[in-house]
Amino acid sequence: MRSAARRAQAPVHLVLLAWCALSVFPLLWMVGTSLKPVAEGIGGLGSMVPNVPTIVNYEAVAGLLPLARNTLNSFIVATLGTLSTVFLCSLAGFAFAKYSFPGRDFLFLFLLATMLIPPEVGIVPTFLIMRRLRWINTYWALIVPRAATAIGIFYMRQYIAGFPSEVIEQGRLDGCGEFRVYWQLVLPSISPALAAWATISFIARWNDFMWPLLLMRSKQMYTLMVSISVLPVSEGLSTPWPVIMAGSTIAVLPLICIYFVLQRFQVSGLMVGAVKG
Amino acid sequence: MWAMRHAYAFIAPFYLLFLVFGAFPLVWSLYLTFQEWDGLRPMKHVGLRNFAMLLRDQRFLDALGNTAIYWTVDVAFIICLALLMAVLLHTPRLSGRRFYRLVLFLPNVTATVAVGLVFIMLFDFNSGLVNALLGSLGLPRLGWLNSTGLSKVPVMVLAIWRATPWYMLILLSGLQAINPELYQAATVDGAGPVQKLFRITIPSLATVLFFCFLTETIDSFRLFTEPYITTGGGPGSSSLSIVQYLYESGFTVFKLGYASAIGYVLTVILMVISAAQVIFLRRGGGAMGSAP
Repeated sequence: MRSAARRAQAPVHLVLLAWCALSVFPLLWMVGTSLKPVAEGIGGLGSMVPNVPTIVNYEAVAGLLPLARNTLNSFIVATLGTLSTVFLCSLAGFAFAKYSFPGRDFLFLFLLATMLIPPEVGIVPTFLIMRRLRWINTYWALIVPRAATAIGIFYMRQYIAGFPSEVIEQGRLDGCGEFRVYWQLVLPSISPALAAWATISFIARWNDFMWPLLLMRSKQMYTLMVSISVLPVSEGLSTPWPVIMAGSTIAVLPLICIYFVLQRFQVSGLMVGAVKG
Repeated sequence: MWAMRHAYAFIAPFYLLFLVFGAFPLVWSLYLTFQEWDGLRPMKHVGLRNFAMLLRDQRFLDALGNTAIYWTVDVAFIICLALLMAVLLHTPRLSGRRFYRLVLFLPNVTATVAVGLVFIMLFDFNSGLVNALLGSLGLPRLGWLNSTGLSKVPVMVLAIWRATPWYMLILLSGLQAINPELYQAATVDGAGPVQKLFRITIPSLATVLFFCFLTETIDSFRLFTEPYITTGGGPGSSSLSIVQYLYESGFTVFKLGYASAIGYVLTVILMVISAAQVIFLRRGGGAMGSAP
C-alpha cells in the first residue's frame, strides 16, 4: 500500500525535481564559471565544471572594485533598513489591530491605496529632495524613505489581529503603559511574523537596485548590486566572464548563506495570516 | 481622540514618511509634467506639451508596448507555474517537502542583477549555452540579446524565473487554508483530480489568485532591473520598459519634466488596471464563489 502511494507520487517528484534543477542551474553555472581560469572557454554544456579550479578571478574582481566597502554598505543598508521596518511596521500593525480610534478604517484604507502608486512616479523629485537634504551618497537616503512600508503594516495587522485581547487588558491592569504592552507582551509572542517579515525585508533590500543606482553616486558608496552592475562596461566590455561571475557570486552568496540559516522562518508563516484575513 | 493619542503616535511614522517621500514627490512631479527643465536653467512652463510629445515619441510608444507584452506574458506564466508548483507541493504525505520548498525558493533570494549577468552569458550569440543546446539539436543559433525580435525573451525568462517561487509560497499557504473536508466530500461524490482542481481548488483560491494577479501586474509595470542589466533596453528600443525610459529621460538626458510626464502616464495606467480588476472581482466574485 505504501509503495503504491509512493509510485503514484513519482510524476509529482519528477516535475518538482525538474523545476529544482532549473532553479539552481544558473547559480551553479555562475559559481562554476567564476572558478575557471580566464583562458578556459565558457561555451558548451560540459564546461560547467572547471578543469583547474582557481580563485584568481576573485582576486581580479577585488582589484577592479572596492568590494569590501561595497559589501559593508549593503550590510549596513539591509540591516538598518530591516530593523527599522520591522519595528515601525509591527508597532503600527499593533495599533491598527488592537485599538479602535476615530478615523482608523479610513487611515487603513488610505494606507492600502498608497500601495497602488508606483514609487517611480516621484523619482525626479525624490532625487531633488535627497540632494537638498545632502543625503546623496549617504545610507539615510536608502534607509529612511522605506523605514515603514504599507505592505509591512498590512501583514503585521493581519497577524496581530489573532493575538488575544485579554492578555492586553490584563497587562494594562498590571500597570503597563501602552508602549510596554507592545514591547513586553505583543512583540515576544509575534516573533514568527517578525522573523518572516525581517527575512523578506532583508532580501529585498540586499537585492535592491534602482534606488541605490540613483542615490549612490561614488564607487565607495555603491552597494554590491550597483558595483557589480558596472563590471561588464567598466573595462570597455573587456572584463572576462569568469571575473564578472566572481563578482556576481560575491553579491549572491552572503544572502543565500543567511537564507539557509534562517529558512525555518519560512515566508509562509506570515502569509497564512494575511491570506486568511 | 486625545485618549487614543498613543495609537496615533504608533501609526504616525508611516504617514509622516509618506507625506515627505511619497505624497510630496507625487505632487511636485505633477507640477513638473507641465515644465521643460534640465535641472540647471530656469524652468519653462509648456502646458501639456510634454504629454503631446509623448504621443509622437516612438521610443516611448515602444516602451509602452514592450511593457504591455511583459505584463501579459509574465503574469500568465508566473501564475500558472506558481499554481502548478503549489498544487504539487500540497500533495498529501509528500516526502521531501521541506527540501523542495527550500530549493524552489532560491531564485527569489537571488539578486536580479547577479542572475541578469549570468543570463547575458547564457544567451550570448557565440558562446552562450542556449545557442549551444540549439546547435546540438541541429537548430540554428539565435541572436537572443541582439535581435529586435527576440530581445524580450531573456528579460521575460529572468522575471518569470525570479518571481514564480514568491507566488508559489503565497498560493501554497492559500491551499493550506482550504478545508480538507471539501475534498473528502468530492471524493465521496466520485470527483477526479482534475474536477477537484477546477471545482474546489481554483474557486477557493479566488481571492488569493486575485491578490497575486494584482501585485504581479504592479510589479511587471515597474520592471526596470531585468532589461537594464541584460539588454540595456536594446537593440534599439525593442526591450525597453516604461520605468527604464523614465529613468533614462530623467537621469541620462536630464529632461526632468518629460520624465515626470512618463511617470504620470504609468500611474494612470496602473490606476485604471487596478480599478478594472477590483470591479471585475466585485462582479465576478459571487459567481466564482468566495473563499472559505
